[in-house]
Amino acid sequence: MGHTISEKILAKHAQKTSVVAGEVVVCDVDFAMVTDTRASNTIKMMNKLDRDALKFTKNTALVLDHYSPPPHPEAAEIHQKMRAFADQANTHLYDIGDGICHQVLPEGGHLTSGDLVVGTDTHSVTYGAFNALGTGIEGSDVAAVMASGKLWFRVPESVLIHLQGELQPGVWAKDITLYLLGKYKAEGLNYKAIEYIGSAVSKMDIDDRMTLCNHAAELGAKAAILEADQKTFTWLEAHGAKTPSPVYADHDAVYTFKDQLNVSLLAPQVARKHHVDDVVGTDQIDRQAIQFALIGTCTNGRLDDIRQAAHILQGKKLAKGVRMIVTPASRQIYLAALREGLIEILTSAGASFEAAGCGTCVGITNHLVPGNHETVISSANRNFKGRLSNDEADIWLGSAATVAASALTGFITDPRTVVGGTWRNA
Amino acid sequence: MNSLLIQGKTFLLGEEVNTDINCSSKYLPGKDNAFVSTVAFEKLVPGFAEQIMAQQGGIIVAGKNFGINSSREQAIHILHLMGVQCILAPSFGRQFFRNAINNGLSIIECDTSHIGANEMLDIDLTLGTVRSSSGKEMSFLPLPQEILKIIEVGGLLNFITKHPDWNFSV
Repeated sequence: MGHTISEKILAKHAQKTSVVAGEVVVCDVDFAMVTDTRASNTIKMMNKLDRDALKFTKNTALVLDHYSPPPHPEAAEIHQKMRAFADQANTHLYDIGDGICHQVLPEGGHLTSGDLVVGTDTHSVTYGAFNALGTGIEGSDVAAVMASGKLWFRVPESVLIHLQGELQPGVWAKDITLYLLGKYKAEGLNYKAIEYIGSAVSKMDIDDRMTLCNHAAELGAKAAILEADQKTFTWLEAHGAKTPSPVYADHDAVYTFKDQLNVSLLAPQVARKHHVDDVVGTDQIDRQAIQFALIGTCTNGRLDDIRQAAHILQGKKLAKGVRMIVTPASRQIYLAALREGLIEILTSAGASFEAAGCGTCVGITNHLVPGNHETVISSANRNFKGRLSNDEADIWLGSAATVAASALTGFITDPRTVVGGTWRNA
Repeated sequence: MNSLLIQGKTFLLGEEVNTDINCSSKYLPGKDNAFVSTVAFEKLVPGFAEQIMAQQGGIIVAGKNFGINSSREQAIHILHLMGVQCILAPSFGRQFFRNAINNGLSIIECDTSHIGANEMLDIDLTLGTVRSSSGKEMSFLPLPQEILKIIEVGGLLNFITKHPDWNFSV
């Protein structure tokens, strides 16, 4: 009987020849990450253990990204504790403005193909874009990893999703994941590991592959993993990662189910207010006005996303009454956007940039609270009622291109209607 | 008492209960766990925390996807403060499930549609059986031995303190 990518990565890290779904295994972890939202709890948990016993610190990063910059004294205090802990324990530290955990870990060369990576954030599934098994954990887990370098895992059942064809210009990985959320529903693939394969995946650049894996968190997935290819290896090498140990599924691997989607026919998708799985094509939306347009987050705050927005808004102005905020996912992306002139284009159009980090994703960071009866279109991954700290505001989700097109017209807009041709590679 | 044998009264919650919103201080900045434990699930069932605490604990019986969108361990700490001994639901948010185990809170995946409010349940996590005061009996697939071991000793940190080598067989 063959095995899936997840089963093989977990087996390798448990020093077993094979594992099966449902089995509990104890694995050696390659890298662990702690964000500022969970640092208080994590440090509290670690303090319950013998501090001298912590032996995993050189493979741990503390990331100050959600409260970046800190919106209140409590957040600032958490950051002080994190800096002190990182200094004392000699962990990696990414400070305010360095970027979102899921961006700075791969950019920092901290993971490679075949790795097992854990982080205190649901979107740790993003690392699957590099053929690493990434999954979310909490403080007790981190403490256990720090003390022993190991953690328990229940081997997930896997599903195989074949993405055939090629995305049309103006359609992105975000549109695929939103479509799949509409199909399977939020948490519809709970506990599962998703493997995406097919020509559409091969043709995607790394930024889009990261979106594809990242958004699997909303499907409830424990992991979302791609096969590694030359694009993966080139990217990893350019970012100083260890030598990849790519893992491929066996031809007779066992999946709970297999599905396929021809993405060539896919239109840009949006999730309507309050429910990430209430998804329709932008062509189904009739004059839905928006007041805020947000580009950023670990789902869609990368260079390709900022490029899409700049391409749509070049030489133009935001619609009257629309406010647009862009949050690059990392300092490296911020600098790349600066060098490409994208920041000038978007700022001239009326957008504002803020420090790299999680930014306007969630209301707890106080980066943006919309007013009553206002509608937000965001490239983020979650839109439940009150996500931006106001139950009286609505949040819709779409690709960065859809967000920018909507900012241009003032209504939720199919990006293909505002820019035609082969603008994908512009 | 064996922590894998549970006896308690049932308290019902619905489907898709988001513990981030209903059982954490995420949207109540500055409030401590003791405070949150008195208002948890208030938006869903007014007086819920008060009722369960008046009984000095109980068993939560919920619909599918309990604990979704939540990766906060804090939810479990608050449930402990409320005196919750066990949660039964057809499915759980992945991280919530993991956090429950890591913090020694018993958690059971099973069909809950036939369990009513205010029933007394006798649960055996090792055997995978539930018996109610009204005479109903049902069974569920027990959790793997390794997970039961972690729950039995009160959570992951207790476990690795006792077993730094991760040996489940002792």
